Amino acid sequence: MQTSKITVGMVLRHALMLLVLMIFLFPIYWMLVTSFKPAQEVLTRPPTFVFEPTFDNYRYAFEQADFTLFIRNTVVIAGLSTLLVISFGSLASYSFARYNPGDGHILFFILTTRMMPGIAVVMPFFLIFRDLGKTTFGQLFALGLDQIGALVVAYTVFNLPFAIWLMYSFFQDIPTELEHSARLDGYNRLQVFLRVVLPLAAPGIAVTAIFSLMFAWNEFLFGYILTRDAARTITVGVSGFQTQQGILWGPLAAAAVVCILPMLGVALVLQRYMVRGLTFGAVRG
Amino acid sequence: MATVKLQHLRKTYDRGKTWAVNDVSLEIANGEFMALLGPSGCGKSSTMRMIAGLEELTAGEIYFDERFMNRVPPRGRNVAMVFETYALYPTLNVYENLAFPLRSMGTPEAEIQKRIHDIVAILQAEDLLELKPANLSSGQSQLVGLGRALMRQPNVFIMDEPISHLDTRLRSRMRSYIKRLHIDLKYTMLYVTHDQEEAMALADRIAIMDVGNVVQIGTPQEIFHNPVNMYVAGFVGEPPMNFLECAAEHQNGSYHLTYKGSPVPLPTVAAALAQKQALPRDVVVAIRPFYIDAAHERSESHSLPAQVFVVEPMGDSTVISVNAAETRMQIVAPPEMRVKDGDHVWLALEPSRILLFDKQTGIRL
Repeated sequence: MQTSKITVGMVLRHALMLLVLMIFLFPIYWMLVTSFKPAQEVLTRPPTFVFEPTFDNYRYAFEQADFTLFIRNTVVIAGLSTLLVISFGSLASYSFARYNPGDGHILFFILTTRMMPGIAVVMPFFLIFRDLGKTTFGQLFALGLDQIGALVVAYTVFNLPFAIWLMYSFFQDIPTELEHSARLDGYNRLQVFLRVVLPLAAPGIAVTAIFSLMFAWNEFLFGYILTRDAARTITVGVSGFQTQQGILWGPLAAAAVVCILPMLGVALVLQRYMVRGLTFGAVRG
Repeated sequence: MATVKLQHLRKTYDRGKTWAVNDVSLEIANGEFMALLGPSGCGKSSTMRMIAGLEELTAGEIYFDERFMNRVPPRGRNVAMVFETYALYPTLNVYENLAFPLRSMGTPEAEIQKRIHDIVAILQAEDLLELKPANLSSGQSQLVGLGRALMRQPNVFIMDEPISHLDTRLRSRMRSYIKRLHIDLKYTMLYVTHDQEEAMALADRIAIMDVGNVVQIGTPQEIFHNPVNMYVAGFVGEPPMNFLECAAEHQNGSYHLTYKGSPVPLPTVAAALAQKQALPRDVVVAIRPFYIDAAHERSESHSLPAQVFVVEPMGDSTVISVNAAETRMQIVAPPEMRVKDGDHVWLALEPSRILLFDKQTGIRL
């Protein structure tokens, strides 16, 4: 009797979990399915679940819509901005963790820059980059509109505060005795930072880098406003399938799949570290 | 190795609002083992960090031999240090931890290897080389910490509470180990501790600190038998010194000490003072637990009444805590002594072992 009761409970619980999972995963499933549907079956009513899969949509996305360029842009922009975020962010957060300049006021001020919505600054950004692009300096570093440098700078500026706060708590956790010991062992401050502190902060830096990458990869607003063709990013590319002739659902779904795959992969592989990094920051910050 | 000379060191924080070190002057001779002893917050760690260069001085001067060190960064001071928390680099294995101080000097790999093998042989830690610090016991960790400090020939060898995190048995083993190391290597050593027993056991000389000042500098014997004030007297020795607040009365040309009406013998050392009639009225009689005898019967010598509070048999001796009026005292008695809680006893203080302090100033008379 008792065993069968437990079994019923277990079945119910698993059924419930399955239901919830289906609700949550259905949009992704539908996107995946749509990306393989022939054009005439995308909007049929009732929707078809059985069809002959085709790669036409993917072919369209890469050949007609130049998705190769969008992916390359996004990789370069996300990679460069993450590199900058980590370089500046680790130095800044280390300083805050060890020397506390500004008695915490500067640190808080840095966080407040994250409190305004992106839409509030996108117009100033647009104007700044429009004018910057006309200067020699701006041309040298590709900082004009529809240029990669502009987005790198924009994402770096937007990501840096969060990165500083996240890494701050990691640096704070490193015992100062280790640094004292290394300084007595004959190393200068920069060597101590590079040889003792950084290796210990590596997990935290990795987590921060992943978040920075994800932000840059998934960002839409800045990419939409600041680029037109040459520097177009992948998310903006996906939205490009809303044309005046209507929405090209098939290629859009294919592009969306390509868009989410890398970050989904990263998230799956590193979820353990990322959760730790987040809770870590949450508790300490 | 070098002589370390500290002149009027001062360290304040918050723009002078709080101070950790008030005025410390100290000279550690070349090859000397000096202990810096004091309770937490007395400024001994700040003093040590200023010597190492990890903290800037507010005022004062530091010399290694005749060289002025105030502006020299830590890496230029050639100070080796053993940390309370071991401070081993977690990402490096034991071998790399030991090699770390030599790597900064660009020492050739072959030489590093030879030095490491010499050091591990001394420490008997050959089988630890491949391990990461996380896999070491606390005793092994400190052994490696010691080894890393021994890798080069330092001007000064500083140990900051090196064994206070170890368990009792290991602690006493490491203690004799450190002492032997000093005998063999003759480094100039500064040993920072709050444990008077460690300081007594190890050091050639002890500097006792209290609220940012050095109160007394002397050999363990001097500190133990001739403390300059009540603070030093109470800090050194286990079980600690007993203090009795007595009244000194001048009568018929001689002094009499009484504690709540009971006579207390006048210490031999105070006889000269008594001659000059220079005793204040309120004095504190201090005597170590070993120099008190307890008896069940009153007699000429056993004149101070007390009641037994607890008895702690230690095997080789018995520690008896008694209440003499409002003062709790401890006596170390021979193990044959038969007493139990609540017994009334009479105490005899050995006059030659009594120290006298001025109650107002705490200074030795």
